[in-house]
Amino acid sequence: MIKINSISKEYVMGDNKLLALNNVNVSILEGEFVSIMGSSGSGKSTLMNIIGCLDVPSSGDYFFKDDKISNFNSNKLAELRNKEIGFIFQNFNLLPRLNALENVVLPLLYSGKNQKERNRLAFEALENVGLKDRIHHRPNQLSGGQQQRVSIARAIAGSPKLILADEPTGALDSKTSIEIMTILNDLNANGITIVLVTHEDDIAKYGSRIIKMKDGQIIEDKKNVPN
Amino acid sequence: MSLTDLIYLSQKSLRSNILRSVLTSLGIIIGVSSVITMISIGSGARQEVEEQIERFGSNNLILRSQSSSTRGVSMGTNSVNTLTLKDMEALKNELPAISAIAPRVSLSTQIIANGNNWLATVTGTTNDYFNLGNWKFELGRSFQEDELDSGSRVAIIGKTVQKNLFGTDNPIDEVIRINKVPFTVIGLLDAKGGTAWADLDDTIVVPLKTAKQRLVAKKFPGDQIRSMTINVSSSDLLFKTEKDIDTVMRKLHKISANGNPDFVIRNYAQFLNARQESSRVMSILLATVAGISLIVGGIGIMNIMLVTVTERTKEIGVCMSVGAKKRDILLQFLIESLMISLIGGLIGIGLGLGVIFGVSEYFNWKMSLDYISLVLSFVFSSSIGIIFGFYPARKAANLNPIDALRYE
Repeated sequence: MIKINSISKEYVMGDNKLLALNNVNVSILEGEFVSIMGSSGSGKSTLMNIIGCLDVPSSGDYFFKDDKISNFNSNKLAELRNKEIGFIFQNFNLLPRLNALENVVLPLLYSGKNQKERNRLAFEALENVGLKDRIHHRPNQLSGGQQQRVSIARAIAGSPKLILADEPTGALDSKTSIEIMTILNDLNANGITIVLVTHEDDIAKYGSRIIKMKDGQIIEDKKNVPN
Repeated sequence: MSLTDLIYLSQKSLRSNILRSVLTSLGIIIGVSSVITMISIGSGARQEVEEQIERFGSNNLILRSQSSSTRGVSMGTNSVNTLTLKDMEALKNELPAISAIAPRVSLSTQIIANGNNWLATVTGTTNDYFNLGNWKFELGRSFQEDELDSGSRVAIIGKTVQKNLFGTDNPIDEVIRINKVPFTVIGLLDAKGGTAWADLDDTIVVPLKTAKQRLVAKKFPGDQIRSMTINVSSSDLLFKTEKDIDTVMRKLHKISANGNPDFVIRNYAQFLNARQESSRVMSILLATVAGISLIVGGIGIMNIMLVTVTERTKEIGVCMSVGAKKRDILLQFLIESLMISLIGGLIGIGLGLGVIFGVSEYFNWKMSLDYISLVLSFVFSSSIGIIFGFYPARKAANLNPIDALRYE
């Protein structure tokens, strides 16, 4: 599903050049649950942003399905993010002015679905994460776990093939973390490919494959049997 | 993303900070209300001038006798009649620019008819009076030559006189008593309405000769008359003719160039010009205010939109991460600034209407509401929203998704 060929990402900060990704090669198959681990500055987030089409590599090729993404313009990238990819962030990134339902509707707005269809899909997604009785609550009226569930609902509302989770449990207590990871597991069981970035071993172990990164390079890539 | 969705999202974010939205649109509010007021004053003045010309006839000068005060004692304008029919003939002969002159004698007196009593102004004149004064006939006719020559007792009455003596009945061929002298009504004049100082329809017109013989023989002995309405063939000649009349009259009345004249020339156009000029100055002033406040308002919108873009950078990043295209972001911010300016425009229109009605009620100043000015204000305020909102919106749309998302 994803094929990354010798991708590098270079940041220029003043006179210093920072090599966030150094000649990374990786393939991810459909249906995999990949955990990417590493300390901060290891390049794991940069890799995820490139996979998620939020950032573009300085060199190398990125294939999503059969498309060469490195050639896409910003509109095509936006469309790809909209249709194929769902994001889950550490700090939820919900829009404070919109209620849960409206937040989940947001990606569907950009895909041009009509109102009835949008609301139906958004409601289904919220139902799937167990929040159907909270749809009119604003983010600040919800607990951290509930907010993260809203953002999962937002990620799955457009039925994407790939979900990218960047430290999804980083702001949550351990009990809520387990709830969130259970939801991700269920999604994976339903065939959605998941790429998870974390620095916690416990969380990484939910994955079927664990990739460890250091200094912009992959230092370990092994199968894992989830417990 | 459809327009209604964009508008929905925009109003959501505007409503989250209502005070700021309204303050932002303050410049537009002032600008638009000034534009509306300005246009109303301008078109109101123009309309008033047109109406006055319609009422009093265009290119007319009024020549009226005036008691000279050479001996230090003014005897009031009514006490001495210095104008004569000879003056009239002389003016006609000497000044080719004069196309017609209507002489006039007048008195205020009791009218009795149909068992009713009414005090009206009676004018003795010729048929030129109707042409020069833009009078139209609702019923009946003007004087015939033999009626003018023989001094027939025929009268033409205005609408107010008809109303008070006959109600809505046809007054033609009825007999009215003016100063106890019976007259037959032969015509009814169209209504002209009132001015600030007189009801023009409260009038009775009789042949000059009849008036002089039967009504005002003592007041205007011989060929004396009260005033004359002088029509000038073209408006370009109006001011020159006014001077020429003064020269000729001084010669006829043997008054030196710097002596006190026993006549006065009223140039109605002069008054109208002054009125038009003052409203023009007012309009220019308001146009300046409007222009400046619209530009300042636009800059205010741009300023706030730039702040908003910075404040909402992360939000923009989130929208981009879930699939917003550059165009979606650009449109959303453009529509936000458009809505600010349109709301400002609407409030401005309301305020402008308030000012217009307030001023026209309170100062009795004629202001006409131009629908074009409403459309104009809409176009003005929305184009300002788009012009000044474009730069911030483009800035938002050109954000790099990952930079925006990481922004704290």
